[in-house]
Amino acid sequence: MPALEVRNLTKIFGEIRAVDNASFEVPEGSIFGLIGRNGAGKTTTIRMLMNIFIPTSGKIIFKGAPIDQTFRARVGYLPEERGLYKKMKVLETVLFFSEVKGKRGKRVTEKAREYLERFELTNRINAKVETLSKGNQQKVQFISTLLHDPDFLVLDEPFSGMDPININLLKDIIQEKRRDGKVIILSTHLMDYAEKLCDHIAMIHKGQVILNGNLSEIKTDYSKNSVKLMHEGDISFLDNHPMVRNVTKFGNSVGIELTDINQTQDLLKLLLEHNVKINSFDVNDIALNEIFVKLAGSAPKEEFNFDKL
Amino acid sequence: MINYRILAVIKRELREKLMTKSFIVMTLLVPVFMFGLIGIQVLMAGYKGDKGTRIVLITEMESLTDQCRGYLSEQDFVRDGTYILSYDTVSKQSLKKHIESSKKEILSEKINGIIYIPSTALKTKKIEYYSKTPNNAVVFEKLDNCINEVLIDRYFSEKDLTDEELNFVRKNVSFDGFKVSEKEEIEAEGFGKTGLAMLFSFLIYMSVIFSSGATLNSVLEEKNSKVVEVLLSSVNSRELMTGKIIGCTITMFVQMVIWLLPVIILTTTSWFALPDWWPDLNIGYGQFIYFLINFLLACIIFQGLSATVGAMFDNPQEAQSGFFPVIILIMIPFFLCFSMIRNPSNPIAIAASYIPFATLMVMPFRSTIVDIPVWKLVLSQLINIATIMLIFPISGKLYRIGILKSGTKPTLREVFRWLKSPE
Repeated sequence: MPALEVRNLTKIFGEIRAVDNASFEVPEGSIFGLIGRNGAGKTTTIRMLMNIFIPTSGKIIFKGAPIDQTFRARVGYLPEERGLYKKMKVLETVLFFSEVKGKRGKRVTEKAREYLERFELTNRINAKVETLSKGNQQKVQFISTLLHDPDFLVLDEPFSGMDPININLLKDIIQEKRRDGKVIILSTHLMDYAEKLCDHIAMIHKGQVILNGNLSEIKTDYSKNSVKLMHEGDISFLDNHPMVRNVTKFGNSVGIELTDINQTQDLLKLLLEHNVKINSFDVNDIALNEIFVKLAGSAPKEEFNFDKL
Repeated sequence: MINYRILAVIKRELREKLMTKSFIVMTLLVPVFMFGLIGIQVLMAGYKGDKGTRIVLITEMESLTDQCRGYLSEQDFVRDGTYILSYDTVSKQSLKKHIESSKKEILSEKINGIIYIPSTALKTKKIEYYSKTPNNAVVFEKLDNCINEVLIDRYFSEKDLTDEELNFVRKNVSFDGFKVSEKEEIEAEGFGKTGLAMLFSFLIYMSVIFSSGATLNSVLEEKNSKVVEVLLSSVNSRELMTGKIIGCTITMFVQMVIWLLPVIILTTTSWFALPDWWPDLNIGYGQFIYFLINFLLACIIFQGLSATVGAMFDNPQEAQSGFFPVIILIMIPFFLCFSMIRNPSNPIAIAASYIPFATLMVMPFRSTIVDIPVWKLVLSQLINIATIMLIFPISGKLYRIGILKSGTKPTLREVFRWLKSPE
């Protein structure tokens, strides 16, 4: 039985279908990525999971039963738009957010101190939140999400606004939580992070789930005839080459779709002949980004903001 | 039902509002401010600013002039130099000329005024006052009794009355109020209860105005700092609103009890030797308990309304415009209470005792100065409870929808759309 099941979830705001008949399953002990562009409907989906929005139709099933307060008490939620009480002290803040989840006492306070130490905030324990830097406020927010030891972590764009060191710390903690058997639902528009962290994904585009399942299986399915290349030099000669069906560029990597997978050696030879310096040449590999572009196309989409309705 | 989530919100509210320096300062400052305000008012009303007033008193008859001089020079305000009086006798025909000749002195305020007592005043008691400021109530207040007594003395001097009879004639009628109630005894009643009723109204007004403003700002802050979304992942909007209202109400209640404690002790116990002028309030614990129940319901109602307004708007400026109707609901009953000082049984006050929102302030005021049957007191509380039951589903819905909205200021039409929407 999946830990969480979303069935035909729809949310309509006036004329706009923010989430349209979305269905996916979140397996036990997984890091589940809810991925898509800004305004695709990820946050609205998460807000329905958190019972902040009531779905127009559809169901969210937690361990076989519709979600209720029990689910909310077991979730740690980091919203995209972070928010803390500015006048509250750091320790008071994290303890308060734990208390509304029903966890308090000496052990929780000890745990809070441990987290604050890990995030290098021990010396700011009695400082008011408003006196902290934005980065430190993010850390306090993250500790507030974790302190009550939730079985589910719902993280909406967790890496935004964080420096690389803290991003690594965050990633470490996410991995730790997975090892402890917790379920992590990660919403992000950054495919690279999702690709590195998640083992299951649901891809949302214009409110619809266009792809979902185990990430490695998805990649295997989509990587047939594909080569993931990291290189230095000009490869524009591939654009109209008969053995190449498609070339897609993603930052420092390129996805090359061949007409026949048996031509990989020929492709390698062709690149060397054109003096292209090859850093990486992965056969039958495909970037998540490439899959997304294949499915959703590159057509720009109006960013949807439910707040404006 | 209060659960651990609501409790956590209540605790946070109490930590933020009750256990702070601003609470202590506010609790101490309001009585200082209140008594300061009353003190200044009394001082200003008592200040006459008439030291060194120069009055020329003219009569038409020499003997009357002498009589006035004899009587007035014995008065304290003349002896201590507050009033400097000079006397003259001028016939009615020459008065105009006399005034003309004194015009310069009157205009330069060397003389503040001329009082003219014609012979006809002995029958009509009509006297004239010529001055740059002819409607100076302070001068009339000071001199009208004295002149009246001189005229009375003069009138009755030919009637062969004894001093005792003359004193009787001089006296005015004095009303002593006696309260007829269900009790066996008929008790004398002063103005102490009216004072206490005013105190009750003033305290409700001040407390509700201040705390409603604080709640409005606190909800706005939660909304703007986006902390509300984190909260709503743990508590639902109803629990959040309930926790907030209970937290604020407890804070206000504690504050009110602190404010009332000295009054309760002074009026219901004999622990202190009170000065003679202290009014016998003859008021029991019941009245205070009734007031506090009423206050509690006022807190709940107005905290709910303020939280709703705070949730509907994005910034303090816009929220103030939405808050105005709430302020009106507090202000009108407060002014109604003042109309009851002269006549506590006026029909508007009686009607307002049973009108939602107004009853919160009007009924405790009336019940302090008039005996009201218990069933009517209970009826007023039932109206309050009915008001809560009617407005809270609406407030709750507006709060739930408004708290996650941002952008433009909602129009009245949009607010109705929110109310009609299924979520």
